[in-house]
Formats: sequence, structure tokens, C-alpha cells
Amino acid sequence: MKNRKLLFALFALVAMLVLAACGGDDEAATTEAPAASTEAPPASTEAPPATTEAPAAPTTDVTVGLVFDIGGRGDQSFNDSAYAGLERAGTELGVKFTEASPNDDGSNRAELLQLAADSNPMVIAVGFLFEGDAAKTAAANAGSNFGVVDSAMLDFTKDPPAPYGDNVSGLVFAEHQGSFLVGAAAALKSTTGSIGFIGGVKGVGGLIEKFEAGYIAGAKAVNPDIKVVSEYITEAPDFDGFNAPDRAKDIALAMYEGGADIVYHAAGGSGAGLFEAAKTHSEASGTKVWGIGVDSDQYNTVDPAVKDYVLTSMLKRVDVAVFEIIKAKVDGTIAAGPTTYDLSVDGVGYATSGGFVDDIAPQLEEFKAKIISGEIEVPTDPAAA
Amino acid sequence: MAPAIELRGITKRFPGVIANEAVDLTVAEGEIHAICGENGAGKSTLMKILYGMQAADEGSMTVFGKEVHFASPNDAIDAGIGMVHQHFMLADQLTVLENVILGAEPMRSGGRIDFAAAKQHLVKVSEAYGLDVAPDELIEALEVGERQRVEIIKVLYRGARILILDEPTAVLVPQEVDELFRNLRELKEGGATILFIDHKLDEVLEIADTITVLRQGRSIATVKPADVTASDLAELMVGSELPTPETTESTVTDVVALAITGVTVTDEEDRTLVNDVSLRVHRGEVVGIAGVEGNGQSELVDAIVGTRAVASGTIFLLGDDVTRAPVRHRRELGLGYVPQDRQEEGMLLPAPLWENAMLGHQTRAPFAKGPWVDRAGARARTEEIRRSFDVRTPNVDVAAHALSGGNQQKLIVGREMTAGPTVFVAAHPTRGIDVGAQAAVWDAIRDARRLGLATLLISADLDELIGLSDTIVVMIRGKIVATLDPHDVTPRSLGSYMTGAAFESGATP
Amino acid sequence: MNVALGRRIMWATAAPLAALLFAVAMSSIVLVISGSDPLAAYGDMIAHARKLETMIDILNRATPLYIAGVAVAIAFRMNLFNIGVEGQYLLAALVAAHVGGLISLPAALHVAVILLVAMSVGAAYSGLAGVLKVTRGINEVISTIMLNAIAISGLGAWLVREWQASGSIEPGSATRVGTTPIDESGLIGDLNGVLEVFTRDIKQGKSLTGVLVLALLVGVGYHVLVNRTRFGFDLRASGINPFAARAGGVPPKRMIVTAMVLSGAVAGLVGVAEVMNVGFFPSNPIRGLGFIGIAVALLGRNNPLGIGVAALIFAFLDVSSGVLQFTGAASREIVVIMQGVIILAAVVAYEVTRRAREREEARSAAAALAGSPA
Repeated sequence: MKNRKLLFALFALVAMLVLAACGGDDEAATTEAPAASTEAPPASTEAPPATTEAPAAPTTDVTVGLVFDIGGRGDQSFNDSAYAGLERAGTELGVKFTEASPNDDGSNRAELLQLAADSNPMVIAVGFLFEGDAAKTAAANAGSNFGVVDSAMLDFTKDPPAPYGDNVSGLVFAEHQGSFLVGAAAALKSTTGSIGFIGGVKGVGGLIEKFEAGYIAGAKAVNPDIKVVSEYITEAPDFDGFNAPDRAKDIALAMYEGGADIVYHAAGGSGAGLFEAAKTHSEASGTKVWGIGVDSDQYNTVDPAVKDYVLTSMLKRVDVAVFEIIKAKVDGTIAAGPTTYDLSVDGVGYATSGGFVDDIAPQLEEFKAKIISGEIEVPTDPAAA
Repeated sequence: MAPAIELRGITKRFPGVIANEAVDLTVAEGEIHAICGENGAGKSTLMKILYGMQAADEGSMTVFGKEVHFASPNDAIDAGIGMVHQHFMLADQLTVLENVILGAEPMRSGGRIDFAAAKQHLVKVSEAYGLDVAPDELIEALEVGERQRVEIIKVLYRGARILILDEPTAVLVPQEVDELFRNLRELKEGGATILFIDHKLDEVLEIADTITVLRQGRSIATVKPADVTASDLAELMVGSELPTPETTESTVTDVVALAITGVTVTDEEDRTLVNDVSLRVHRGEVVGIAGVEGNGQSELVDAIVGTRAVASGTIFLLGDDVTRAPVRHRRELGLGYVPQDRQEEGMLLPAPLWENAMLGHQTRAPFAKGPWVDRAGARARTEEIRRSFDVRTPNVDVAAHALSGGNQQKLIVGREMTAGPTVFVAAHPTRGIDVGAQAAVWDAIRDARRLGLATLLISADLDELIGLSDTIVVMIRGKIVATLDPHDVTPRSLGSYMTGAAFESGATP
Repeated sequence: MNVALGRRIMWATAAPLAALLFAVAMSSIVLVISGSDPLAAYGDMIAHARKLETMIDILNRATPLYIAGVAVAIAFRMNLFNIGVEGQYLLAALVAAHVGGLISLPAALHVAVILLVAMSVGAAYSGLAGVLKVTRGINEVISTIMLNAIAISGLGAWLVREWQASGSIEPGSATRVGTTPIDESGLIGDLNGVLEVFTRDIKQGKSLTGVLVLALLVGVGYHVLVNRTRFGFDLRASGINPFAARAGGVPPKRMIVTAMVLSGAVAGLVGVAEVMNVGFFPSNPIRGLGFIGIAVALLGRNNPLGIGVAALIFAFLDVSSGVLQFTGAASREIVVIMQGVIILAAVVAYEVTRRAREREEARSAAAALAGSPA
């Protein structure tokens, strides 16, 4: 009797630990959904940034401690991309580095930052969830620089908002510029003159609206008469929109039925639904329609069955940002506050995997050059696009 | 011809208890052999040994002339012995066939179950023994009696030629009992040997070819039903060589301490367990309840103590209506209770003795001070119990499971008696304890009686009942069928009342 | 008496020590197989843990684990398995933080209100499982699992959304998402001042949570309640043998509900540690403490001191995960492996020592019997 109870308790415990472990992953996916959608890309490792100069003698006493987000390496997304940037800094700049991942419940983020700062002048934290802990740890470790991916690291309680400290940098991305290029690609490829945009969550400080604005502007730059339909899955503070593939699929199907033949999403995990919808609609109607990915090169990360429906992806190059911030530290040019990684440093871009946009590459490169030169200014507000 | 089973000198000891002592048993092939005895007489231990669930400490065992040593029930099954448990082990959502073959599935190549062959075999077995079942029926659709038949077939299907049935009639209604007996006779015709465990004497006399009586772990007698009456059996089961607890002059007062009026208790299936029982126990009086076990005595006790709800009737404790009162309220009014199963209802085995001494009295001094436990007071009281009731223990901090059964029982009786009860409900207070301790318990009850304690005594020890009681009531099937003056009865005549034989023979209650 | 006490302590500590040693041995094997040096790894862990700041990290982590362990233990004591501590603490912390953020009161009172709300919510939510058990016969394991899902994915998620502090969502500032920040008066301060009296100055901006005091009070309260009160006796008696307890006048249904309510009230305090640390209930709170609490209670044998030691062991291992990664001595998974092995080994070791102790007690009782005339 007693033993049975004990055994049962044991069994339940083991089951729960397993569940808790799985749950931890889920939770990471949900709570960081806003991050994942807007920021998490394993950038394709091709196309090294144009701005890099070949280092003559790759030796420096700068060392880097990098703290991943929950999940660590191997996530085919954010964390892997950050690691790629770190490795490149190792080979090109000669920096030594160490890395660590938080416990599954994320309870030791601050501890990891402190440990990283103990022995490294440069600390990089992957993901905006580190913001609070990074600000606090930076204040206690004036000797180290802190870079947080996807957070501006500005204290908004101050007016005007100011960096948390002299040693705190935020690594953010010009998503609107990358979106401009995929918008242009959509317009060039569209045969119906109608394209779509699916945003994950509306009203998160204009974050996703930036994607929409750039996309529309890029499409209109190609074809001023093009019809762009936009829809958001949820509105803040409901963050489900970043993790609702079924709802994204419904919306995408409606858009395809309505005549759009290319749809771009900025909706994180919901994007899987978009590509499924593209396949479903293409097979049902006999006319091929496309989806455009976001953050990472989704041609390489989606379910292989739908990869041929990924026209291109808007890339957010965490690897570039990580590399650049380390380089700035090595060069002594690191600045507090947000640094935006844009087209000029290949902080954003478009993916060419699958070869579906090879034919229009010249046009896209032309747009890119114009944006870098300032000839085209990409809006961040959809109303201005 | 070698007997089907022959046991010689089987002895099995548990810490503090001898469950079987030098038991001899010879079961001839093709007979129905009943084993009877009171609860705790060692029947189930003996059956467990025979079925390989426990190993005997001493003794030898032969089956069909071959000496055997069972390490597990599988060995027993291989030797042709099968057991039908009192609680069925069937899966409700499976069919009869699936249940029967469960664990003994005939396989076809590729690991698939050969249902066709199984069914064929099942039909063959059931026809051979005249047992009627529908192989494709779901168990949940079957009556209790039919389920039992499935259990029997399950055993036969595995090739058993000796069947052990553990109190098979306990779960059946009378018509089902008749049906079971018919089946058992057919099994016998088919060549099976049946070991039948029971303590309902009329049933035993009806079905058995031979009866072996166990008492206190020993095989007392083996008799033929034609040679004995139910009262003879009852006497054999209970024995009468113990010292008689003689009570001298009456101390009965006219103050009613416990008044039970028209109490009826039913179970979940609405079967009546206690039927309209009325009973008064006065201060200074001992009322004994006699009855073959399973005739509603324990349910009546539960109702008085408050662990079982009554369907109708009232219970008054010292003038307070406690019919719906919680146990604690009754305890605080001065109800002392010795449960029939001390380990199940009376003890916290892993807890120290002093905590066991608190149980049931934890709201009152010397065990409690307001909301706090008075550890010093509780220890002192436990020491007192230890001394006056001769509880053999190194100290009062050892866990209760370290004590032998007799010492546990002494602790329970001690804690109830030292708490100064006004009404004392004692179920088998001296069962399983040695003669010296028995006398101590009797003395305690007699002393308390002189001081005005009202006692309700349930006992299978007829000498104890006759010797201690001022009045004896007899319960059969939940009803009080006779109220007797202990001076007018002997264990033998009381036994005939208990089995109902006294009424058939025309004796006046 | 001293010998007896020594014996009791020996029996009480033999099993966990054996479990710990076994876990260390198993982990060493795993480390060697994975190509790491166990001695280096343990050396790094211990060197790290000897730093004052790390000790603070360990205590901060152990605090909610301890409270969760006690919450689980209260129910365990009555043979109830409160898997719902997880949902109870998350819901309780959310509501308490929300209420705390809305009101403004003098310091002591403000804190008291927050704690009271947290305990009430936890108690009510856990009590629900108790009521379901006594009225509908629903096993508390099933109901608390269901209630967890409702608390975390349903009710909690909805309330988080409803009670989101407005205007706190800024570009790149999403961590600020949570309930309205609680005024200074509602927060339990840190213990740095107290600690620094005995030690050196605390560096790295670390602070020792004041909730630690609350956890200690919970532990003392648990000990007194269970071991010194009539109620505690009823609770333990019901857990050991519900039939005997019932015959002894313990109302079984009321005890079930009361035990669940108490367990839930303590569970309600688990999340207070984080709320007091960040000043509001974040949209990504630390989860899983309720489940680890079960492991902590199991390892600590439901004993107030034992749970404390278990919480410290778990916290120490959690905190070690970082240093192992940075020194490169081992991967962080070793920590999880050790925690798992300790629990499994502890359960086995407890059973072994329980039997050994029972045998010894039976022997000594038999000896006493033999010593006196039969």
C-alpha cells in the first residue's frame, strides 16, 4: 500500500519532470514569441557583410561572453545565428569567447550575465528578455560592455529615453528596409497585381507595423497601382498572434482566394500556416501562389513539403549584429544605446535560397543600393507608405 | 490412489504471531473439502501457502503424490492448482473470452492471438464441467454470479484440477449460492477437486464432502458433514478450553447509557446489513452480541461509533441523540472503542506508541492543552498504560509496528480503558492475545463495569461472551433474533442460536 | 537518550547522504563518458559556491523552492498529492501583484495585504481540488493537473492580458510587460544590510531576498503545526491510516479540504519571491517551481529541515549550471541529470533505510519482551 503510493508518486514525478522540461521549451516559444517573430533569424551564412575589412593580424585581448536565450544553440534560429556571428568574430578578429544557456525556466539569466562579465570585457545577451537583468548587471560591472540583441536598451522611464548606462548597447534592426526589398520582389513576381501582408500582433510599439510599411513601400516602388491587403492576427497585449499557425493559414487562404498571389508574413511561428496555405491553394487552384518568410531563411527551416512555396525571406542578420558589436568593441568605437543594423551593413536583407528570385536580383540590388545611398527613404509607418 | 493434496506439519510464523502451526490436511481427489474457522484462524495463510503466494516455514506439501515447493502462484498453476479469489480480477471492458485467455493467450505466428483456438478451448472446458458462459459477452454486462463463473473457468482454462475458492459465497445472494453449489457439484462430476473456504456453517454442511476445522492456526478436526451438526462445528471453531471469564454479582443500574432504536444500515447497493435493531445498554451492564461473523455485527458497531451512516433509527449516548453526530463528538461524550481489526482501524503503525495512545482521545487531557499536543502528558499516560496493561516495549517512543499483535491489542484496550469511558464498544477485545493479557483485559472490563461502565461486547469467543455479559443478544442476517440470559446458555446452545438451528429444532429463544 | 537521539539522526540522514553519494557517483560516470573531468567540474562548482555573491544566488533560488516544498509536504503528510502548487502559485502571485499594484498603503500593511491575497488565492484554488475530492470523489491528482492548466493557460493568461499595465509596451522594451508596478511600500526589502553586518560588502549588485525570512517563518510554522498541534496530529494520523484516524474521531472530509487549503495557502507564497524581486508580476514569470517543489519535498522527507536542505541542494545545482558552462568544465545538462538521479536514489534509499529501521526496532522490542517474564 505504502510502496504503491510511493511508486506512484515517483512515477508521477518523473512524468512531470519530463513534462516540465518539454513545457519549458513551449514556454520559451510562447513568451518569446514577440522576439521570435521580429528578431529571430539564422541568417544564411553566405554573403559576408560588405563593410568588413580583412583583419591584418587577428589578435586582440577582447574576450566575449555570450549568453543565449532559453534553448541555446541548435534552435535553427536566433541562437544559432548569434553563434555564427560569434564564430566569425573568433576567426576574423581573433577574439576568444565562451557561451552559456540559461536553465529551462530562465531563472538564472542575471547569474549568467554576471559570470560572463566576471571574465569578459564584452558580454552579449541574445534576446530582449535579458533587458532588465542586463541593465542591472551592467550597472554593477562598469568594466564590461553589454550588448543585448533586439532591445534598444533605452530606459523609457526617463524623458527623453536614455541608455541604461555608458556600457550598455542595444542591437536592433532596420526591418523596414529588408521588408522593402521583399515587397519589391513580391511586386515584381506578382501576376495578379495583388499581394498580401500578415502581421503577428498589432500595436507592439509599432514593431510589426515597420515590416508592413517597408513591404508596402517596396511594392509600390515597383508598381504604384499594386493592391496590398494587410491583416494582423491579434492585437497587443494578446501575443497569441505570434504562435497561431492555424489562424495565419485561414487568413492567408482568404487572401489567396481574394486574388493575392504572394503573401509576406511577420508573425513568427504563425508563418508555418502561411506556407501551408500557399501549398493548399496552389494545388487546389492549379495556379502557383507564394509566401515570403521572415527573420531567418525560411526556405531552409520550414517543413520540406512546403519549401518550394517560399519565394524569399526577409533576413534579420543577428550574426552580423553580433559580429559588428564585437568589432566595435575591438576597435574601441562601441557606443551606448541602440545601434541599428540596416542594409548598409547587411544587418537585414533578402534570401536567395531556391533561386526563385534570381531573375529579379538586378532590380532588387538596385533598390538596395538606392536605400543605402539614401536616395530611397523607407517609411516605418504604414500610413506613410 | 494418492490424495490430491497432502499437507504435513505446515507452520508459518509472522513477527509476533503464529499463523499456522503444524497443520495437517488431506484432500482426496474429486471431493469438495471445506476449510472452516473463525477469522484469524489461519485459513487464508494456509491457502496462500498452498497457492504459492507465501512459503511455509516448516512442513511438507504433496500434490497428487508428488512433493512440491512453490515459489510463486505460477508453480502452483503448473502443479494443477487454481485459485478463485473473493474479489474478482476481471477487466470490465473485455469480453469473457478475452478475460479468460488474458496472460495465457494462444499465439499464432507473428505474435497474433489465436482467438479461434482460444474460443474452441474455452467452449470445450465449459462443456466438460457443465459451466454455462457466453464467450463474447462483456464482463460489465454480467451478474456477480456469472462473473464468478468466469473466474472459475479462467482457472480451469489454465489446466487446474484443484480449485481453491476463497469465501465464494460472501458476494452472492442466496439464489446465486444455489447456482454456485450446482456448478461445484458438476465440477466434481467432471473430476475436479475443490477446496472451499467458508465460515457459514449451514453452507459448509450442505456442500462439503469433508470438513477441516482450523482454530488458532491449528487443524483441530476433520469431520464428515453427516456426523456433525452446525453447533458441533461452531464449538470446534471457537473451542472452549480457555479459562472462563466469570462475572460475579450484577452491577446493572437502570441508567441507560447507550440506546439504539430501530437502527437499519444498508450498503451502497442498498442491501440491508443491519435490520431494525433496538438495544439498550445500562450503566454497569455488559451486553454481548453473539453471531456468526458477517451477520451485521461489525456494521452495527460502525453505526454506533459513527464511521457508517444509518439509514433509519436513532442512537442515543447518555441521553444525547448522536445518530448524525461525528465520531469525535461521540468520542468526547465518553465512547471507548476497540475495533475488530486493530491494525486497520486501531493503530498508526509507523507512529510512536505515545501517539498511538492519543488516537481517539487527542482532543482531551492529558493528550492536549488547548490546540496543542501535550507531549509530556501523552508520554506519561502511555507509560501508565504500558505498566497497567503490561505492554512489552523498550520505551514509548518505538513505532507501533515493532510491537507484536498481542501487545498492540493491549495498548489499544489500555488506551480506551484508561481514558475513562462511559460507554465501551469492544469488538473481539481479546482476539489474538495471550492468556495472561486476556485475563488483564477481562479484569479491566469487570472493574470498569463495577464503576458504572456500559459495555457492548462483540466476540466470537463464546466463553468470553457468556462469562462477561449480563445479557446476550444473537444476530442473524442483521437482525436480533434472540435475547438470552448468559446463566441459561452454554457455548453449545449459544452456537445453535447463532446458526439458527435452535429455532428449527423448536427451542424457545 | 543521547544514544537514541544519535540513532534517530543517523537513520534520518543515512538515506539522503547515500542518495547524494550515489548521485555524485552516477554524475561522475556521465561526466567521464561525455569527456569531462568530474573533479574539475566539482571543483569549479564548489569554488563558485564559496563566493558570497553566489551564496546569495543560492539562497534567492532556494527561497521559493523551499516554500513550494513545504506546500507540497503539507498535502503529502495527509497522503494527498498536490500537483497543483504550480498553478496555485502562479495565479496567486498574479492576483496579489495586481492588487498590490492598485493599492497604496503604509509599508507593513501594504506587504501584509499582498501576502494575504496571495495566500487566499492559493488556498481557495487548492481548496477547490479538496472540495471536488470530498464531494465528487475526484482524485486530487487529476483535479490539480486540470486546475493547473486552467490557472496557467486559461485564467492566468486572460488575467495577465486584462491587468497588463497600460503604456508599458515600448519598442524593444517588451520585458516591461506585466502588472502595474507595486509601490515601494508594498515590497519586502532585501537583507543585504543584515547580511553585511556578518560578512563583507556585497558586490555585483546582488541582493539577498527578504522573502527568505518569510520562508523561514513558513518552515517554523509548518513544524509547529504538524508536530505540536492537535490539528497536526489529526493530519498525520489521517495520512498514516485514514481508517484508524476516522475511528479516532478525525473527520476525513474536513481534513482533506483543510489540508488542501493549507497547502494552497503556502503555495500562494511561492511566487511572492519573484513579485517582490521585480516589483510586479511579469508576463514571463519563472515557472515550474511547483513541480520542483514536489521533488524538494520528496528529497526532504516532508521534514521542515530536510526540505530546507533539499531546496539548498537543488538551488546549488541550478546555480552551478552557469559556472560549469563558462569554465567549460561540463555542459549544463549535468545539473539536471544530478537532480534527477538524486531524487531517484533518494526514493530507493529511503525505502531501504525504512525497512532496515523497522527491522531494528522490531528486534529491540523483541529483546525487551524477552527480558521480562512472558
